[in-house]
Amino acid sequence: MVKKKTKKKTQKKTNKDNAEKVASKIEKISKEIVSQIKKEESPTFLTSQRGRSNVEFDEKKGVLQLGEKMTSRNFLNLGHAKKFMQTTLVASKTFDYLKKNKTASIREIYYELKHSLGSGKENTFEDQTESDSVIVDLEHSAETIREKLNLHANPKGALYGDITLKDKMHNNDTFNMLQLGRGGWSIMSRMEPEEIEIVKTNAKYVLVIETSAMYERLVEEDFAKKNKAILVGVGGQAARGARRLIHRLYKEENLPVYVFTDGDPYGWYIYSVIKQGSMALAAHSGFLACPKAKYIGMTIEDIHDYELKEVTEKMKVGDVKRAKEMLNYAWFQNKPWQDELKRSIKEGVRIEQQALANKSLEFVAETYLPEKINGKKFLP
Amino acid sequence: MAMEHIQAEELAKEFKEHSVAEFFKKNKQMLGLYGKIRTMTTIVHEYVTNSLDACEESNILPNIEVQIKELGNEYYEIIVTDNGPGLTEKTVGKAFGQLLAGTKFHRMIQMRGQQGIGASGGTMLSQMTTGKAVKVLTGTEKGKAISLEITIDPKKNVPKITNMQTVERKFQGTKVQAKFKDVIYRDSSTGPLEYLRRTAIANPHARIKFKGPKGQKALFKRTIKIIPKKAKEMKPHPHGVTVDELISMSKYTDAKKVASFLKNDFDRTGSTSIEKIEKKVKFDLNKDPKQLSWQESEEIIKAFKKIDFIAPNTDGLSPIGENRIKKSLNAIVAPEFVHTITRKPKVYAGGFPFQIEVGIAYGGNAGKKADGEGRSLEIMRFANRAPLLFDAGSGAISKAVQSVEWKRYGVRDLDSIPLTVFVNFISAHVPYMGAGKQAIADEDEIMEELRLSLMDCGRKTATYIKRKLREKERLMQQDMFYKYIPEIARALKNITGEKEEFLTTKLEKLVKEKLGLEKLQENLKQEETEPLENEVIEEVETSGEKEDKEKNTKENK
Repeated sequence: MVKKKTKKKTQKKTNKDNAEKVASKIEKISKEIVSQIKKEESPTFLTSQRGRSNVEFDEKKGVLQLGEKMTSRNFLNLGHAKKFMQTTLVASKTFDYLKKNKTASIREIYYELKHSLGSGKENTFEDQTESDSVIVDLEHSAETIREKLNLHANPKGALYGDITLKDKMHNNDTFNMLQLGRGGWSIMSRMEPEEIEIVKTNAKYVLVIETSAMYERLVEEDFAKKNKAILVGVGGQAARGARRLIHRLYKEENLPVYVFTDGDPYGWYIYSVIKQGSMALAAHSGFLACPKAKYIGMTIEDIHDYELKEVTEKMKVGDVKRAKEMLNYAWFQNKPWQDELKRSIKEGVRIEQQALANKSLEFVAETYLPEKINGKKFLP
Repeated sequence: MAMEHIQAEELAKEFKEHSVAEFFKKNKQMLGLYGKIRTMTTIVHEYVTNSLDACEESNILPNIEVQIKELGNEYYEIIVTDNGPGLTEKTVGKAFGQLLAGTKFHRMIQMRGQQGIGASGGTMLSQMTTGKAVKVLTGTEKGKAISLEITIDPKKNVPKITNMQTVERKFQGTKVQAKFKDVIYRDSSTGPLEYLRRTAIANPHARIKFKGPKGQKALFKRTIKIIPKKAKEMKPHPHGVTVDELISMSKYTDAKKVASFLKNDFDRTGSTSIEKIEKKVKFDLNKDPKQLSWQESEEIIKAFKKIDFIAPNTDGLSPIGENRIKKSLNAIVAPEFVHTITRKPKVYAGGFPFQIEVGIAYGGNAGKKADGEGRSLEIMRFANRAPLLFDAGSGAISKAVQSVEWKRYGVRDLDSIPLTVFVNFISAHVPYMGAGKQAIADEDEIMEELRLSLMDCGRKTATYIKRKLREKERLMQQDMFYKYIPEIARALKNITGEKEEFLTTKLEKLVKEKLGLEKLQENLKQEETEPLENEVIEEVETSGEKEDKEKNTKENK
């Protein structure tokens, strides 16, 4: 008990330290702008240039990273003026959050800051995409992530398995995921160590599942307990919170991460985001990516090995186009993936996870996954 | 000190007699005396033109008052008073009681009064419609003023003067009071008021006061006090003369021989050309010009055509001047922007010198009221400073305005733009179309000059419109920046503790500098207030003082 108390104190301190650190970064940027104004120079701040042209694949680390190209936001530039104003508003508001130790969703900060300007035809923000984009600017300028600005997006994703978490922001509730019934635990949008602590896990690996239906199937089949697995149902493209959690299990607990998706370009991209990060959040790959993650399936090979040809679907024109683009992605430049993509394009078929139900409901849990995982039949 | 006034008595020498009273009765159309509204405008035109011409010939800055009273249904009295040289007992009869008494029809000189038939036409029309005499009060610089009533003997075309009285008070100028029936007054674009407004624009040296039948009042102030340079009488160029004109001229010449008549009374005819003509005609050039037959005249004209003469002398033309048009458009039209051009004299049809002046007024009160809201294109046409109000759609000026691609100059729709186009056509020989003398023929050279000057005006207007739009845009941008500044100041204050007011002031200053607004606005203001000419704008009532000042300004220049 005594030991625990000490740990708790340290944790809280870290949390406060972080807030102070980020707040002082915002203060530094603001002071710089004020000093420019004093000197009657054009008020300017720097942020990273985003978009494809400034994203590179770091082969050594195996993650997507933002390049070094910076771009300036200049108040006196007609095209920047509004964004500049919006950024100062978001900076000021998050500064308050950090000082008061409050957190808000990105929708909440949007509503908190939205009001009409001047005669009333124009608003500080016309819609949430504007404030979202400014938040990203600020993340880059302050060299931090939105979670550390005390902001968060909408939560998505579910967690199940033998893992114990502690919610330090909420009475230090401590709970094991096997005791939460079939629903498991809803992954929060903020999964920062300062707030959620991974207390203990006996799992051997993390299984990331694309569809919620497959996640529920595996919970029902008691797959987690039987295989000492942590199940993360991401429900399509993984949200930030889920990605952060998977990353932490990978990094803090040193667990292998296996990704199980539909065998189509969308599924492959979900995998690649878990593994090396996304274009949009390339700057934060260090917080989010799991470069050693492995791909379980579905694969073209599976269709032949498990005689699933009858339950495949035809690839749509867009799918083929996307698959052809993926052939050129830096992180797919290895023989297994090139073969997989080329065969898919050639055969023109895609296969869903749930097509395995064609064999039987239990097939995925009792046969398919164990065979793939134990036999290490992965794509890199 | 004073410039010498040319005495009225001297002017009188030039009057010559004709018996055309009967002709008048039958040809009212040709004289512009048809249509109830048009007739009234024409009468006003005749009186006002006489006044302006008389004043200018005597170096007097014209003060003209026009009053119209409604006496009954389609029954009006027109009273025109000027401060001109005045008439004497000898000359007043010819001026008001004898048709075609002047020599206007035979002189190659640029003048306003090429339309109509003069003040006597008014007398004739008055007695024909009301049976009443015209009342005249007139006085010269010397002697006493006289008042009288006058009518015309329609058969003999001679004045009948009654009630002649000497007036005891001092009066210089002429006041005519005439009554007319079958005429109508309207405040329309062809009515007397619009006529006077345009006359004032083209005659910035004149002060014109108007009082209408419904109590309407208008005062068009003098914007410059320099009397236009007198148009010189020009000899006709041999290439600009018809057989008929040659014969008319031969009747009035002082020359005793055809050879000297051709040499003296025409422009650019020297001894060499006379020798050439001699070889080309079948009769003896020593003949008395008064005896020239039609056929002989034809021979001369044919000979003229075969000879290369130097292009006509253009010295005799008297334009208003760019700056003066600019000034009066600014004063009377009150637009936002004015551009004017006086082109160099040119020659049309080989023998007729002419000159074009174009002004364009944009924004403000320019243009005429459109049917719906807003304003639309207004074309003001003038021939030798006299407004052409009628037959608006036809003639070279209207055609030239229509032919310009206004779209190029940012003018999309002529029906919805505050734009006034002013065109003054100057020539001793205005090529009118039709007897009404309200439209100018579209001779190639005239069209070319019109188009060139209109396009130049168009370009200048386009520049102005663009600059104005840019200015508007800048102000909009400033508004945008200014809306953001308080937000930024508040946010930065919250984070850094810096004073909001300080940040706001500094940021506003930065924005202003960035947009260069201060500089731009200054430029605009300067342009607006920059005096166009050093001449006086105020009216001057005493003639002595007026001339002193005039002299000074001339010397200063």
